[in-house]
Amino acid sequence: MGIIKTKEASWQSGVAKNITFIVTKDCQLACKYCYLVGKNEKEQMSWETAKAAIDYILSHEDEFREESVIWDFIGGEPFMEIDLIDKICDYLKTEMFRLNHHWFNSYRFSFSTNGINYHTPKVQEFIKKNISHLSIGITIDGTERKHDLNRIYKQNNPDGSEHGSYQDVVRNIPLWLEQFPGGSTKVTISSADIPYIKESVLHLYSLGIHEVNINCVFEDVWQEGDDRLFEDQLMQLADAIIDGGYYTDYACSFFSENIGKPLDPILENQNWCGAGKMLAVDAAGMFYPCTRFAGYSLREKKPIIIGNVRDGIDKNKLRPFLTLDRTTQSPQQCLDCEVASGCAWCQGENYDAAETSTVYQRATAICLMHKARVRANNYYWNRLYRKLELEGQREEYEMNKREVKPVDC
Amino acid sequence: MLQYLVILLDDTSTSYCHYGVNKKERKLISLDHLRQGIRLGMVENLMIQFVYPDYNLPQEYLDVIDTIDHSNIKPMAALDNDTDIVTIDGWSYDASKLKDAVVALLTSWKQLNENHGKLKDLLAVVQRLNVVITDVERMSDSDREQYKVVLETLCKDVEALYVDGKSPQLNLLTDRMMLSAMNNCNAGDTTVTLAPNGKLYICPAFYYENEDDCVGDVVNGLDIKNKQLYRLDYAPICRKCDAWQCRRCIWINRKTTLEVNTPSHEQCVAAHLDRNASRDLMLSLRSKGTFLPDKEEIKEITYLDPFEIATQWK
Repeated sequence: MGIIKTKEASWQSGVAKNITFIVTKDCQLACKYCYLVGKNEKEQMSWETAKAAIDYILSHEDEFREESVIWDFIGGEPFMEIDLIDKICDYLKTEMFRLNHHWFNSYRFSFSTNGINYHTPKVQEFIKKNISHLSIGITIDGTERKHDLNRIYKQNNPDGSEHGSYQDVVRNIPLWLEQFPGGSTKVTISSADIPYIKESVLHLYSLGIHEVNINCVFEDVWQEGDDRLFEDQLMQLADAIIDGGYYTDYACSFFSENIGKPLDPILENQNWCGAGKMLAVDAAGMFYPCTRFAGYSLREKKPIIIGNVRDGIDKNKLRPFLTLDRTTQSPQQCLDCEVASGCAWCQGENYDAAETSTVYQRATAICLMHKARVRANNYYWNRLYRKLELEGQREEYEMNKREVKPVDC
Repeated sequence: MLQYLVILLDDTSTSYCHYGVNKKERKLISLDHLRQGIRLGMVENLMIQFVYPDYNLPQEYLDVIDTIDHSNIKPMAALDNDTDIVTIDGWSYDASKLKDAVVALLTSWKQLNENHGKLKDLLAVVQRLNVVITDVERMSDSDREQYKVVLETLCKDVEALYVDGKSPQLNLLTDRMMLSAMNNCNAGDTTVTLAPNGKLYICPAFYYENEDDCVGDVVNGLDIKNKQLYRLDYAPICRKCDAWQCRRCIWINRKTTLEVNTPSHEQCVAAHLDRNASRDLMLSLRSKGTFLPDKEEIKEITYLDPFEIATQWK
């Protein structure tokens, strides 16, 4: 085992096609930071639409040449449509086998769930049936007060107070970790969450979750002074991780040796986001370059539809996504930034926030938060390296550390 | 940097490019807007191109137009001695009236395939011929194959004229040979358009497609958001391309790919068929003697759509 645990690479990272079924736009929750502004109870995918999408995709093998595939199911809350998902997955397996498709031996079913229905018999039956080809992430945001600050039910309590979902999620964590021992969780930070970052990460560690992927929302929600509060929280977290020795066995994506450096305009010009390399399909049978371009994800702009299950994909509409690079979409302040590496963006949010209807205008709402993260990250590594040095472990770490590639969202 | 201002004098002003004119009712630009447009041209040092309808303008308009250096784009029906570019929509024209004219001939793929044999005679008469394909974005596989044959024929026609001692100019074939760098439409970068409603547009096509899609007006000036995206250096496919004669029509870009800086597959293929035919013509002319000795040979390439190799450039 290495001295410092780092984020696990995702399955077939870089060689897998990600195909997302938006099986429902409904969810039990109404998370305050959710970017899905158009959630509703009406748009559930029909079996006919799902089948048509699968038939199109599997019959156009020459257009989907990636080595592997991740069949992703998203909502709303995907497990609200477990019957449909089960039918889709059975059909996918049968058809990939029948067609002798090159994905038959290289596929995953992937879910991001709020965890509320995780224990139900139908979900459990599905998990047992597909366990060897399954990735499931449960979103739990940290401590109860942090989680329930945002992740609340659509319906309030009888007394009118907000109904947090923490208790209904945390009860399923042991079962989930038993079935997926390496399970990681995704934590989202918006302005109101900042004071609870340290306690939340440590709480998730205490629940047995060894990998916490955490990011600030890309939307322009930040208040003046948030960056200083954020930096302070991260430095407290850094101290706690180092002093508690958590770094050997737990990972938190906030801290990475690869962030906070200038980027070469030619050699490091790749796009951050995988939009366009992915494919999403919704209940109407429309194809999108990513779920973030579906209508229910967009505040200001029209959806970007790149085809449909009947007519296929309009490749002209994919060209802008597949030729996007970092420098063409970035403002000068980003090109000149001395701590640019690791500063992420979401193509969908860029599009939604842009002054014109374009994916070529990078949103910069996250700028100060990234810089705060870089400062805290520098502090973390300076402290940790010193500790390793004093304990005689630094050389061993330097020799064994692995390269971490940037990953698409 | 802005250099040109196109002024549409009427809603029914002729098209000289890929777009169609979908307004049928005559609606002249107001004299106030015309004067303001001319003033904008003067203060910004812009070359003005007036685009005319097929009827005679009132004298007071002609008097105002005459207050600034300009060029005139007129339809065949309004052709006179004051015409700099004459537009022909389709293939009905009297070639004898087009001696030494600069002509923009608008055609569909189908019409071009059926009528291209007429171009040899027209080329022998005119000073310059721009063939504008109005449905370039709908190029089918069969259109593409037929277009290759059309270009082969035109190559022979142009070559014969050169051999005859003439210097024909046909945008599809001779522009690329003469160029040393990209030479595109540049709407939104070097050129904008004033429409009869007094508002400014990226180009006439944007006005005819949606009047609300304006980028300012003659009173308050230009306000182009994300202006950089109209520049060549912000077009990831085009900035590395050597089909220098390509129109790089940003209106078709937006229509087909939803982005002004990204061309469609069809636009790229058409431009590369032209480019490759220009290469063949240049090689053939050079085999007969010295021809454009200061110009580099057009290289042989293996693709028709530079998107195919775009990722290699990253």
